[in-house]
Amino acid sequence: MKNKTKVQEYFTAFVMLLPYIISFFMFFAYPLAKAFIISFQEFSFLGDTPPKFVGLLNYKEALTSKMFLDSIVNTFYYSILVVPTQLIIALILAVIVNDKVKFKDFFRTTYYLPTVTSPVAVSIIFLFLYKTDGLVNQILSHIGITPRNWFNEPSFVMPAIVSVAVWGSVGFYMVTFLSGLSTIPDQLYEAAEVEGAGESTKLIKITIPLLKPMIFFNTVVSFISTLQMFDLSYIIGGSDGGPMGKAMTMVVMIYRTAFKEFNMGVASAMAFIVFGIIFILTLIQRKFFGEEMSY
Amino acid sequence: MKRLLAGLLILVFIISLSIGIAVSQKSAYATSKITLRLGAWASSPAEKKIVQNQIAAFKKLYPNVDIKLVEIVGDYNQKMQLLMASKTEPDIFYMDSMPAWQYIAKGVLEPLDYWMKKYNVKTIGYESSLLQPFIYKGKVYGLPKDYNTLVLFYNKEMFKQAGLTRPPRTWQELKDYAKKLTTGKVVGLTMNLELARIQPFAYQNGGKVFDSSKPVFTDPKALEGFKFALDLFKEGICKTPKDLGAGWVGDAFADKKAAMTIEGGWMIPFLNERKIPKDSYGIAELPAGPAGKSTMAFTVAYVMSKNSKHKPEAFKLIRFLTGEGGQKFVVEAGLALPSLKSAGVNFAKTYPERKALVDGAKYAQVYFYGLDGTKVVDVFNKAFEDYVIGKKYDLKKNIEERVKQIMK
Repeated sequence: MKNKTKVQEYFTAFVMLLPYIISFFMFFAYPLAKAFIISFQEFSFLGDTPPKFVGLLNYKEALTSKMFLDSIVNTFYYSILVVPTQLIIALILAVIVNDKVKFKDFFRTTYYLPTVTSPVAVSIIFLFLYKTDGLVNQILSHIGITPRNWFNEPSFVMPAIVSVAVWGSVGFYMVTFLSGLSTIPDQLYEAAEVEGAGESTKLIKITIPLLKPMIFFNTVVSFISTLQMFDLSYIIGGSDGGPMGKAMTMVVMIYRTAFKEFNMGVASAMAFIVFGIIFILTLIQRKFFGEEMSY
Repeated sequence: MKRLLAGLLILVFIISLSIGIAVSQKSAYATSKITLRLGAWASSPAEKKIVQNQIAAFKKLYPNVDIKLVEIVGDYNQKMQLLMASKTEPDIFYMDSMPAWQYIAKGVLEPLDYWMKKYNVKTIGYESSLLQPFIYKGKVYGLPKDYNTLVLFYNKEMFKQAGLTRPPRTWQELKDYAKKLTTGKVVGLTMNLELARIQPFAYQNGGKVFDSSKPVFTDPKALEGFKFALDLFKEGICKTPKDLGAGWVGDAFADKKAAMTIEGGWMIPFLNERKIPKDSYGIAELPAGPAGKSTMAFTVAYVMSKNSKHKPEAFKLIRFLTGEGGQKFVVEAGLALPSLKSAGVNFAKTYPERKALVDGAKYAQVYFYGLDGTKVVDVFNKAFEDYVIGKKYDLKKNIEERVKQIMK
């Protein structure tokens, strides 16, 4: 009797979970497995010719493609610029709005606002700001810097995109830091004050060490999202990767290979290479930050 | 709870039943009236209007055929691949010259030769260069619906101020004019830094970029031609619209940031929209080089899906759209040039000031580089960028390197 209810319970649970399970398999597991298979095939959406198994040829082609290798370098350059800048600014903002400043709710909302704005809209706004005769250049010309086309110069396009990205997503990381800050017990600060610690000592000796789990989380999330960057680069640089291909990211390259060059197999292989890169990096970061995260 | 479930089940049953009835009714209809789907990318309202008028005219001739216009928003080739993967592509649809062979080689398009013979359509009626991208291994896969050529637009007022009375006719004149017209914030010439604008210079110099089915990368004559054009950028008398802070050359020209531009006929409706008076600018053929005239033609054809269930009707629709009946609307609208030679004559009569566009068709090279088109364009575009922005002046070496990297 007892057993029967257990089975029934499992059954109910299964039925309740069914919508999720179905969508998980339909939109995640199946496409993932299929893409993995395609990465070993010469595959096309066009026509009825059955896909041909080509072994590791797609991977070889991806890894010997100069454009793809360049796109990996570009993406890392982007990540290395974005992640620290973004996290440091986010942390500073979080500490500020966590304090007892006036209108702190207003500031919190304002800083978070760009995060909920579509990256496409953000990119288009910045395209206008960074134009040769745009606002940024007009301001800079007042302090004697000659106007330049930020998005059209090989050495400036990535830093310019970085500024867009940081502006657009710093709010998200600020909020996670804020939630981390609220878990730090006040007694620690009080004790530190009794010992005569100043603001900066408190920040370095208490806040940052205790925020370690949040820092780890934010670093990983930020790294992963920057390595997968597509929208900004696609809008600003187009599928050709902007000036001299300097704005080409790995995901734009995948898109380009799949839908411009009609090469699904190589594109899938590239996607799994990107997956591998992100996976390994996350493991390294885990090692670096240590396993235990509690205090 | 149980009752609710039972109720739900009954509801689902009723819904599926009614759908079933609706579907079976619909298929009963289909025997008397067929529906063709026409795939087109989302374009300007003016272009959509042409297609809608053509469809209306076709329906008058063939009342038993219903036509649904499927507008494809976003990246056309991406969406088309997905539609084909799910076998839901339209019966006939737009096909740009560039990716045409990629589709044809995969065998997703219906060869039209059989139908052309049956319904008496001859390729000779069309502007000959336009057909090339749609002929693969001797078979015709698409009939061009319209086209456009590159011409030189020039600002008459700026010309007057600089004491120039007519558009430049030679390379030397183009260079001198551009130099003369570059003053302060105005640049003499603006154009995109890409193969689709620079290529005519190669042909004007007697060079080649594409030879019947293969790209030609380092023809010395072509390189010389490229260099002439690229040096205009280098000298600062020609700039890209981006460098002028404009969205595209149309904006740069309309905002008087440049005195001349090399662009296609699609500029005209745009300039009308921007309320630029018609007599304030002129349209001329591209200046001739040492070896004569050349320009580029951009064309789009109608192609038929291999999976179409109504091939005879679909072909009749293609025949109408690319024939006298449909081309009439292309001429009237003046957006693009009619692909039919006979209609082209009418176009030149209707719009005498746009004669340069039609004249160009005689010696134009169509924007098309075979199966690896995207990669070929990439090689040249990157090498051009390297030259102008990256200051890598050994064009030949650079192109060779790029070919090694990209073409493989």
